[in-house]
Amino acid sequence: MNTLFEAHDLRKCYGSITALHLSSFFMEKGETVALTGRNGSGKSTLLRLLAFLETPTSGTLRYFGNESEPRKEVTLLLQEPYLMKASVFWNVTLGLRLRGFGPEEQHRGYRESMLAVGFSDPESMASRGPGELSGGERQRIALASRLILSPSVLLLDEPTSNVDAASEKAILNVVRSLREKGVSVVCATHDRDIPAALHAREIRIVNERP
Amino acid sequence: MGYFSDGMQKAINLLLHMDDATFSAIEATLTSTSCALIIATVLGLPLGFLLGYTSFPGKKLLRLVSDTLLAFPTVLIGLVVYVLITYRGPFGQFGLLFTVPGMVIGQSILALPIVVSWTAQAVETLDSRCRETLLTLGASPAQVALHTIREIRYDLGMVCVTAFGRVVTEVGVAMMLGGNIRYSTRTMTTAISLETSKGEFAQGIALGLVLLLIAFLVNFLLTWLRHKGRA
Repeated sequence: MNTLFEAHDLRKCYGSITALHLSSFFMEKGETVALTGRNGSGKSTLLRLLAFLETPTSGTLRYFGNESEPRKEVTLLLQEPYLMKASVFWNVTLGLRLRGFGPEEQHRGYRESMLAVGFSDPESMASRGPGELSGGERQRIALASRLILSPSVLLLDEPTSNVDAASEKAILNVVRSLREKGVSVVCATHDRDIPAALHAREIRIVNERP
Repeated sequence: MGYFSDGMQKAINLLLHMDDATFSAIEATLTSTSCALIIATVLGLPLGFLLGYTSFPGKKLLRLVSDTLLAFPTVLIGLVVYVLITYRGPFGQFGLLFTVPGMVIGQSILALPIVVSWTAQAVETLDSRCRETLLTLGASPAQVALHTIREIRYDLGMVCVTAFGRVVTEVGVAMMLGGNIRYSTRTMTTAISLETSKGEFAQGIALGLVLLLIAFLVNFLLTWLRHKGRA
């Protein structure tokens, strides 16, 4: 058994509103899954549950990894990523700093992750602030800040919406390369072409709310 | 208008010749205001952060009290502290009335709600994605709190500058608790008030010019912090 996530009768409610109701959800380690579905079907809610940002209102959700510290392995890229009021270098290396890595690892990780998301000259970006970046650049920098952590599971919420074609291509290349490295990826998307482009198993989230 | 231009000329002379009485008032003002600001920020920043960051029963009521205290009239603060530190009051034995420490107590009380309320607001209005981003990067609860403080650092700077601006220009507390004693507790605002009532405009104008300069510096700092916060 290589199960990564397993959920049964998963329900998340906010007050009287049911944001997500799924009968079942399974995912294997190393698998790439594309979550599709209409607006409000609960894709983002499912990602937040998988990222341990929220807990289910009812039902079961099991993670077959480091259960005591799952956030050390699972990371989520929000649909509209938030960058701290600091330089690009600081943002990209923040996760490493939180885990106690020193300057040498930070500089090496910064260069590698920035190259991976398509920045050919990472040093020229290092001192720029969030206000000096385009939407596509912000998305790729936020992705670099996750890649630098070498996550086992990467959750992506609409990573290619609001980005230009070049950024979309760079992001899709990154996700495909992660698959080859055995990283499990869950990508919520509206774009019908994305599941095929990522060679992903498509799971259509249907609104099962009562 | 002759008396005004006359007063302006004399005021500039007082400043250029570093007149003792004028500079004593500037010193008393900056001393009491700085001490009050230090006390208010040391107490107010942690309190405001906790108020904005955590959830507990009665939080809304505390927030309401803190916000209400923002509009506390300075003379009322002066009156309350006066009653407490007057020679017949519960803290009379410390001899704080008509001293700079007495003024500092009143001005700290004036600044504290500003620091608490505005710090809480800065935390509450911070984009919720900041916390989520930190959590998804594997931050511990303590790291999330620390980086939240880092993220609102420019707002906290603005809070301090605003509190300083409020305290440095107030007159009620300084007058009631300081007693406007020359070369001791006479501040810029109380001196302006006294000199104007005597018809002596020169020192009032001189101190007014210094206050204007301080106001300019405060606003310059606020603008800079706002700009840094947005960037």
